[in-house]
Amino acid sequence: MIEFDHVTRTYATKTAVADLSLAIPRGELFALLGPNGAGKTTTIRMLVGLLRPSRGAVRVCGYDVVKDPRHAHLHIGYVPDEPCLYDKLTGREFLWFIADMFGMPRHLAGQRIDREIEHFELGEFADDLAESYSLGMKQRLVFAASLLHDPDVLVLDEPMVGLDPRSVRIVKDLLQQRTREGMTVFMSTHTLAMAEEMADRIGIMVRSQLRFLGTVTELREQMALESTSLEQLYLRLTSPLAGRETEP
Amino acid sequence: MSGRSPSAAVRVLSIEEEARRFLRLRATVAWETLGSMFAFARLRLSLVVLLSGLFWASLYGLFLEAFAFLAALHADVVSLLFNAFFSSLMVMLVFSTGILLYGGMYCSTEARLLLTLPVRAETIFGHKFQEALWFSSWGFVLLGSPMLVAYGVEREAAWPYFVLLLPFMIAFVVIPAAVGSMACMLMVAWLPRLRVHALALAATAGTVATAWIGWSTFSPARIDTMSAAWFERTFARLAITEQKLFPSWWLSSGLIEAADLGRGPGGTWAPLLEALKFLALLVANGMLLHLMAGWIARLAYRRGYSQLIGEAPPRRQRPIGWFDQALVNAGSAAGRPLRLLLVKDLRLFRRDISQWSQFLIFFGLLGLYFLNLRSFVYNNVYASMIGFLNLAVVGLILSTFTTRFVYPMISLEGRRFWILGLLPVHRDQIVWSKFLFSFVGGVIPCSALVLLSDWMLGLRTPLLLVHEFCCVVLCLGLAGIAVGLGARMPELRESSPAKISSGFGGTLCLVISSLFIMLVVIIAALPTHLFLLTHALGPTAVASQGLLTWAAGAGGMAFSLGLVALLGLAATAIPLSMGLRAFRQLEP
Repeated sequence: MIEFDHVTRTYATKTAVADLSLAIPRGELFALLGPNGAGKTTTIRMLVGLLRPSRGAVRVCGYDVVKDPRHAHLHIGYVPDEPCLYDKLTGREFLWFIADMFGMPRHLAGQRIDREIEHFELGEFADDLAESYSLGMKQRLVFAASLLHDPDVLVLDEPMVGLDPRSVRIVKDLLQQRTREGMTVFMSTHTLAMAEEMADRIGIMVRSQLRFLGTVTELREQMALESTSLEQLYLRLTSPLAGRETEP
Repeated sequence: MSGRSPSAAVRVLSIEEEARRFLRLRATVAWETLGSMFAFARLRLSLVVLLSGLFWASLYGLFLEAFAFLAALHADVVSLLFNAFFSSLMVMLVFSTGILLYGGMYCSTEARLLLTLPVRAETIFGHKFQEALWFSSWGFVLLGSPMLVAYGVEREAAWPYFVLLLPFMIAFVVIPAAVGSMACMLMVAWLPRLRVHALALAATAGTVATAWIGWSTFSPARIDTMSAAWFERTFARLAITEQKLFPSWWLSSGLIEAADLGRGPGGTWAPLLEALKFLALLVANGMLLHLMAGWIARLAYRRGYSQLIGEAPPRRQRPIGWFDQALVNAGSAAGRPLRLLLVKDLRLFRRDISQWSQFLIFFGLLGLYFLNLRSFVYNNVYASMIGFLNLAVVGLILSTFTTRFVYPMISLEGRRFWILGLLPVHRDQIVWSKFLFSFVGGVIPCSALVLLSDWMLGLRTPLLLVHEFCCVVLCLGLAGIAVGLGARMPELRESSPAKISSGFGGTLCLVISSLFIMLVVIIAALPTHLFLLTHALGPTAVASQGLLTWAAGAGGMAFSLGLVALLGLAATAIPLSMGLRAFRQLEP
């Protein structure tokens, strides 16, 4: 579903992502972890086609996001770290706009919009202008919009920011249900507990490189630390001294 | 295509379908915006409509008089003036559309959303192009339409001329807008590092060229202003704009032909055909350039966007950090918090390009106009009147800045109240720092401009001192109104200064500021004008009534200046004290 093929991205003289190779199959929930500036946002931006790799290729469902962005985007749902809406559209109008842009037939779009409004409990304010929404309301609406077309790949950049505990639960349940149905989720997060609870595999980026790729259990095994929390493992792996210890 | 097929529920749209969906989006947003304005901003909407109407009517009257005057002097002058006017606008439209598209296509969150949807890059460009075209050319329509209507009325043009005006204007603006957008996209995609430098160089070159053309066109003509020789020399210099390959020439020629309909022998339709030929030329070129811009968008938009967000942020250099430090250290320890707040606002101003660039452009253009005042010979009465009008213009421009940038400052500070609230700073000092910042920032360029205007007009020292006094009073009052009202009516939930200034409080600030400027200028100008009239035409000119005699004398002048001072004091103190009281009790 998602394939990073020797992807490198440089900013002037700084390398933000170095030779990233990663394949995420259908139905997997993958969490990308790492400290600030490690290259997570750059990776996400390349995955959704906002940023082009300096070298290598990113493919979604077989489509190169640089060479064939429109077909790749048909398969992607994206929830950015800062929700972007049209202030002068109501929530429902925004959902119609997104459904229209994905070429969904009217009757199906109507059903899906009602479905997502119900899932994310947007009914109370779906017909108010987005300019009156709180951050949490905006984030729920963006979630709803990203799932309207039942994407094969859902890309989430810090998805829980601004959500209240009930909304977080709704999102978690929905992600688990959708991944069971075959949707692939690529999530960047700082919330280690969520990654530990939900992710099938995690990737930990440190200073532009993917330092670890696997399950939390595999991470424990690799670091020879039994019954240790992901937080402690993460802190050990991302500490400034860690590179010297693990690199050959 | 080697990828997995999407579900039957989704598909990529044809370019026509994409365009229709964007059109529907635009219509919905426009409808909702208008609805919100009618519901929540009636005062603002009414003021905008009223002031635009007044502006249009004034321009129409002015142009009608001007065309009547020109027709009596030189019948062929119009073509030359149209060419100069439209070619200047053409250059400005290239820049303004390029800059607007840069903001819309590369810096907006909407662009980020649209680029992650299955939409063609050229359709996104088309959507943003229409937006930029609208924002960059409404000024042209507001300024150009009264001129062209006045020309048609003065020439007693037939109805096809008036029908063709709008198509001509729309077809014309597409050409520079498309050129500007192509330059913008190419620059972002292939000159990312040089982009800022290239823009700065182009803007500087444009300003220098405009200044040079303005100066060289009018400056040598001081000796024989308005004479036949003056006209000939000026027209010879303006002829540079009469290039047959310029769209501005097609536009002016087409309009002049259309206005001539029915004037030929037997009232033939030949001029209309000629006009339509020029319209077709404009439309064809506009469409071709728009097509080319769409093609460039397909190649360069996504690449440019990636290039731009992939740039490393520049390291902040502090070449004038010493100035800030000197300002902080100057004066007593008690005033240090106030100075620290001032330095903070100064840094924010310096780093906000939108603020200082607008400041530079508006005051720069005003300076350019004042520099060209020397081209004409004035008598004392006329020069004094122009001097006061220039003072009013300086004040009005300053009032737009105080409303746009100073009025929202307290509201924006309110959002950061958790920082300031924990500092050992009295709340009054925050308000006072804004007032000082606004006053000092306004009085330096404004008094310099007034000085330049008076110097170019050749006014004597007493009148210059009166103008400078009024200028200081205006700067004090405008700062007081903006800061006071901003503190009295803060909008703490809003983070956009543009939205804060366009709300009710901002509109009220602009209206009160405009009234204050008009009052100050009228009160100061009236006795001065009467005094100069008396000296120019003798005592009988204004001495028919006792009050006028007194007003034209030294007593009247002193009284008017006293009144101006009182008015300035009231405009400064009343809103400021209201603002200080409200800000002390503010609970964020």
